Amino acid sequence: MTALFIGFFPKVLSPARLTGPIFGKELRVSSRRRRNYALRFCYIALLTIFVVLVWAQEVKYRGAGIVQVSRMGSAAKTIVVTIALFQFCATQLAAIVMLSTSISDEIYNRTLGLLMTTPIASFQIVIGKLCSKLLQIILLLAISLPLLAIVRVLGGVPWSYVIYSLCMTLSAVIFAGSISLFFSIFSRRAYVVIIVTLLTLGVLFALLPFLAAISLYRYVSEDRFFAQLFYLNPYLEFLNTSSTMFGGGRGGVSLFSWLPHCGIMLAASACVLFTSVRLVRKAALRQAAGQLPLLARLWHPSEQNSAESDAEVRSPAVIRRVTGPPVIWKELISPMYRRHRLAVMTVIGIEVILILATLLFPPIMQIFGYEEASVLYVWLFFGLAMLFNIILPATCITFEKESRSWPLLLATTLSDWQILLGKFVGVLRRCGPMWLLMLAYIVAFCCAGLIHPLAILHIVIVAAGIVLFLSGTGLYFSSRLKGTTSAVIMNFTLPAVTWGVMPLILVTTVAIIGRAPNSLRYCFDAVPFTQAFVIMTNTAVRVGELDSYDWFDRRLSPVASTYLLLAFMLGYMLVGLLFAWRAKCRFRRDVF
Amino acid sequence: MIETKSLSKYYGDLAAVTDLNLTIQDGDIFGFIGPNGAGKTTTMRVLVTLLEPTRGKAFINGLDVTKKGKQVRRLVGYMPDFMGVYDDLKVFEYLEFFAAAFGIDRRKRKSIVDGVLELTDLQSKRSAAVDSLSRGMQQRLGLARVLIHDPKVLILDEPASGLDPRARIEIRELLRELKRMGKTIMISSHILSELEEICDHIGIIEHGQLVFSGTLEEIHPRLGIQSKVRVKVADNQDKAVELLSALPQIGEVQVTAGHIVVTFRDLPLAGDNDGTCARRQPTDTGIIARTLVNGDIDVVSLQPEQLKLDEAFLKLTKGIVH
Repeated sequence: MTALFIGFFPKVLSPARLTGPIFGKELRVSSRRRRNYALRFCYIALLTIFVVLVWAQEVKYRGAGIVQVSRMGSAAKTIVVTIALFQFCATQLAAIVMLSTSISDEIYNRTLGLLMTTPIASFQIVIGKLCSKLLQIILLLAISLPLLAIVRVLGGVPWSYVIYSLCMTLSAVIFAGSISLFFSIFSRRAYVVIIVTLLTLGVLFALLPFLAAISLYRYVSEDRFFAQLFYLNPYLEFLNTSSTMFGGGRGGVSLFSWLPHCGIMLAASACVLFTSVRLVRKAALRQAAGQLPLLARLWHPSEQNSAESDAEVRSPAVIRRVTGPPVIWKELISPMYRRHRLAVMTVIGIEVILILATLLFPPIMQIFGYEEASVLYVWLFFGLAMLFNIILPATCITFEKESRSWPLLLATTLSDWQILLGKFVGVLRRCGPMWLLMLAYIVAFCCAGLIHPLAILHIVIVAAGIVLFLSGTGLYFSSRLKGTTSAVIMNFTLPAVTWGVMPLILVTTVAIIGRAPNSLRYCFDAVPFTQAFVIMTNTAVRVGELDSYDWFDRRLSPVASTYLLLAFMLGYMLVGLLFAWRAKCRFRRDVF
Repeated sequence: MIETKSLSKYYGDLAAVTDLNLTIQDGDIFGFIGPNGAGKTTTMRVLVTLLEPTRGKAFINGLDVTKKGKQVRRLVGYMPDFMGVYDDLKVFEYLEFFAAAFGIDRRKRKSIVDGVLELTDLQSKRSAAVDSLSRGMQQRLGLARVLIHDPKVLILDEPASGLDPRARIEIRELLRELKRMGKTIMISSHILSELEEICDHIGIIEHGQLVFSGTLEEIHPRLGIQSKVRVKVADNQDKAVELLSALPQIGEVQVTAGHIVVTFRDLPLAGDNDGTCARRQPTDTGIIARTLVNGDIDVVSLQPEQLKLDEAFLKLTKGIVH
């Protein structure tokens, strides 16, 4: 009896039983995918760049030997915290990307139903998928362990912080990965899963705490509020502890400060995974029985109808006649957001909630000040409109490739320019409303006299350049690549590197060399978010009070600023057109 | 109408098509046969300007497909081996979209679309969503789309794949109708009996190389198969064997299971030494009948043995080629 009891737990909890053969299969498949190697390369390259920049900044001061030695401890602390922060963000992103197709691949390759005909349990499918990706993430984390250990020799970094950062990162990775895996049950498109996961994390760890803060600030003290929040919010907790380290904190990190947090995150992950297991089983059984995918009606209404295979009962026989150029006609009559109406409505809903929050909760203005709130909202609108402008152009040709209608279009007598123009009009039509939302916000506040009307012109100039740039790059990647997800990821990476990573590296470089060359300042000014920031902070005045624009390190008149913005716009348009032209040249290459 | 000259297409090191020389006459139905991965689809894609050949030339109605792409596309209707659909269009809209894409005047489009819908028997589905159609209906719609700009040449890649027998027969009848309309049709299929019934010429391709091109009748000598006739007589079987063996046209006479199997001798034709059709034999059942009747033997039946296309295909694509 005792032997039976002793043997029970190891048997039930053995890794092989928990993950089944899925774990091994996933590892084998992963080892054959080039994108995983590319991911590891990018991770190491970025880590190296950040460490080198931080190191260069820390050791730039010259002095006596004793000064240099005393600075080593500070340098070590900065490097360790930088690595920890980098790991914290990068590994979560990697987990979200890696798990974004974990279940959808099985559903759309029709292997999930097959798995259900074997003794493999849905629990093993979910855990096998998660563990195989986690193992790769742990490998990524392990890459930096020797570096952390070496840097620790320089002093100044307690072991407890290293352990803390690893545990916090792992628990956050498991949670983010679980969310990604959960959403991959519902959508086959990796980019949709990635975006929805990021939005969910944004809502959970940014929007909800923000709304809670403005609702409860009268009733709960700030210290108490944040003390509770640290248990629930990994980002705030990690930033708080890391900034304490940056700020010269010498002591270690107490176990009690982060252990409950990790426990809560793991419990939340377990809930998400448990729900996933239930849903995976349902999805698998539906597939095995030849039924529709889960939530098909909600996410893919047209698939629901096609399964009924009865065209006559489907919709009234309204036939739209083709007028004008056929591709433009088709783009204009297509459903506005195809199958992502729900996601679009959610995004618009969030925007409306935020605007209403501005109007209904005056405390927001007190917390931020009017200027900051204005900038925040324009950034938010800008970001969302850009997100649409990144995704939609990158999908317009790959969708046709995936539905296999692209060769049919190319086999007609339409010229490549006609097809390109039609696709561009379609992109404008779909992205337009998101840009108009931002414009409507600014126009409304201009009418109320809170923003100078020049902001409208300047924002339109900035938006025009960005729209053409992102549409051009999106069309290029859509034409160049076969898969929608690859095209979206590439079209996301290009602006992320151009406007995110590059300025960050430049900022650090400037900090190291001590002064910014004149040419460098234009690199910062070219970033659309910088432009939006400058426009909104400078135009948040009444008519007649606007005399100049403050561009961080210099002041320009409104006219000079207009010229500068126009120059950037023309630059972006030129690059966008160049990409669009290259897209046209690629139309007939690698059609199949 | 369709001609390829030393056409080759490589995907990296993989030779999909190698030195393909093909000629299809105006108004012919040409069956293109080959195992999976033989290079049929690649050849068709080159002909419809969707792929550029690595080497060689291809012409449609004398137009070079690599240089006169737009003119070639106007002449050709291409139906791929998959059905590309726009899931948010109805059947009529789908066809009118392609009519507009081929530059057909707006005033003529409605009547043209109605015409092809009638030809393909899709009138009842004109307002149905494209993605809701059954596989058979989608194939019909594909044919309707191909016909929308009244092309002279139809290139159809596996038009009958995945269809039930009734739909296959309907497609076959439709192709016959198109032939009567004077279209030149190049069609690939794995269902060889279909091709046998409708094709004037066939081409068999394997590993990117054309192993046979010609009519079905020309396959026999190509394979070195002598024509045979099975004869059944009422009596005097031995005498019948003796009489037939004496004929100069007859190579061999055997008796099997109550039948006399007569194998004709090869008769080389003057100047016919191009390697494609080296020898021919007349399967003259008349001479057998006359000989037996003159010999006072009652003939019950005379049945020439026919070579099936799938049999020829198996022999040609398994290296049993002389």
